[in-house]
Amino acid sequence: MAAVQNVQIRGSPLLKRDLAVAKYRKRTKKWISTQSLIIDIFIWAFLIIAAAYILAPFVFMFTASAMPAGDITKMPYRWIPKGFYWQNYWQGIRGNDGSFIYLRNILNSLIVASAVTATTVFLSALAGFGLAKYQFKGRHLVFMMILATLMIPFEVIMIPLYLIIMKLGFQDSYLGLITPFLVSAFGIFLMRQYFLSFPDAMLDAARIDGASEPMIFRKIILPNSIPAIATLAILTFKSQWDNLLWPLLVAQTEEMKTIPLYIVRFTAEKHTDEGAMMAVAAIASIPILILFLILSKYFIGGAVVFTGKKG
Amino acid sequence: MGLRLIPVSFFTLIGDMKGRLFSSGIEHKKARWGWIFIIPSLVFFSLFSFYPILNALYTSLFRKKLLSLAPPRFIGFDNYVYLLQSPDFWNSIRATVVFTLGTFVPIVVFSLMLALFIMSRKRFQKFFQMAYYSPAVLSSVVVAAIWLLMLDPRGLANQWVNFILNTPGIDHKWLANSTMVQISTMMVYFWKYVGYFTIIFLVGLGSIPKSIHEAARTDGATGWTDFLYITLPLLKPTTVLVSIMSMLQCLKTFSTQYLFTQGGAPMEPINVITLNLYYTTIRDRNIGLASAMSIILFCMMLFFTWLQFKTSRSEEVHY
Repeated sequence: MAAVQNVQIRGSPLLKRDLAVAKYRKRTKKWISTQSLIIDIFIWAFLIIAAAYILAPFVFMFTASAMPAGDITKMPYRWIPKGFYWQNYWQGIRGNDGSFIYLRNILNSLIVASAVTATTVFLSALAGFGLAKYQFKGRHLVFMMILATLMIPFEVIMIPLYLIIMKLGFQDSYLGLITPFLVSAFGIFLMRQYFLSFPDAMLDAARIDGASEPMIFRKIILPNSIPAIATLAILTFKSQWDNLLWPLLVAQTEEMKTIPLYIVRFTAEKHTDEGAMMAVAAIASIPILILFLILSKYFIGGAVVFTGKKG
Repeated sequence: MGLRLIPVSFFTLIGDMKGRLFSSGIEHKKARWGWIFIIPSLVFFSLFSFYPILNALYTSLFRKKLLSLAPPRFIGFDNYVYLLQSPDFWNSIRATVVFTLGTFVPIVVFSLMLALFIMSRKRFQKFFQMAYYSPAVLSSVVVAAIWLLMLDPRGLANQWVNFILNTPGIDHKWLANSTMVQISTMMVYFWKYVGYFTIIFLVGLGSIPKSIHEAARTDGATGWTDFLYITLPLLKPTTVLVSIMSMLQCLKTFSTQYLFTQGGAPMEPINVITLNLYYTTIRDRNIGLASAMSIILFCMMLFFTWLQFKTSRSEEVHY
């Protein structure tokens, strides 16, 4: 564009007016470029400051977990620990009472999160497949009902759920921690969206070859939906790893508690020092952060499922 | 998005049912398998979603105590009347609304800004996306624990603020002062979720066709007018989605407030509805009252969602 204009100016007879126009253009162009440079610097600065604000607490957690308590509260904060203060991690794992209950709680979190993830992925894929690829009466109604449950927040049905779990005799047990999360409406929605674009021809070909419907699900659908399954699995695992409210109601003994409950208790205890607190937090975060660094695609993919657009 | 589907599909459903009533043969067999695949989930949702919400509604009409031998007594709307006259509950509503407004508005504004800025860069897009998203990965208890230490009188928050405002040695009482503790909870939540919504905005921005921007540029739009008249209107669906999602998220906040109060912060200013709900259940064991509270929370959520849809419906944009 600009080149064309220049050629025109150069090619036209050098009238006074044209010269003035060219001069004006040049000046505004220069002004615009300094302006855009300032905007550029501003945007970079904004993004970098925001990134620093976002990442600083992470750095704080890891550095503080390697410092004795005295150093953490020293002003100004020293961002590089003098050495690695292992006692924090030892105290965090050992607990203030020396019961090593944190290890058990980590195990509980692993068991609960894995079990919930397994059932959610399996049942969501099953239901999502049924909804996407089979024509039957009431299919839409079922799908609408499932979507409607997305509108029911867990906090609202928590008490009736608690009563049900008590009635079933599941309180203070793995079953109690797992049962309310066996399948998620979100998961079904995600899987259904994924299966909708799955070619019918492939399923029909398998049927002609004599495959039964469960076999199609196992042999064709599951192996071909790894991205959707990975997304759902990660989100489910993460949300269970994070779950506080429900275990707070159901897990009564220390043996049945999960990581978030341990962190709350450990934080509230008088003898806890700051370094140990951050060590406990770091231990809880490291697995999920490693997962994030390796599989960030699926984490981020899960965030945008509801926008209905391909990310 | 799901919300908007419900009324439309309910009517198409009736037509759908009529059409398929007399199908048979291989289609019929397939249909049976469809049902079999769905039934486990359906049973689950009936037991653990629909029954509980009806049960909450029902229980809210009774005087019912956990672990109490006395049979529940029907008291009509007394629980609601009690709650609506209770200053404690009004305080919870105030705390929840203040927290929600004070959190989700900055989240929407800043995540939009961050997304636009990231989009305008040619390099490091991936790095910024990952960095901003990372707090959403942490569990909310860990987040609250980190900030609890940073907001300590001798912690980083004071050091930074004093550095920026050049006021050395002043304690801003992040966790002690009743206004400051509210700001602190908002800050924690903002920190955790701003990146998450930035990602959603980025997807929204990415889905606006480039040709529209190019056309606008040809017509003489500059960066700012392009943003104001092209990007912003076309981004409206995403903005609505983000504001509804972040708002519902804020209304349900629990972990931060819970850990802060456990860590010694004053309860009253940050006694949000979910926290009140939890204590009414566990400490007071008054599940009739707690159920009424949860139903009010549910109605608040529905109301705010409806309000957002209504205010955003005015002019639909298609592209």
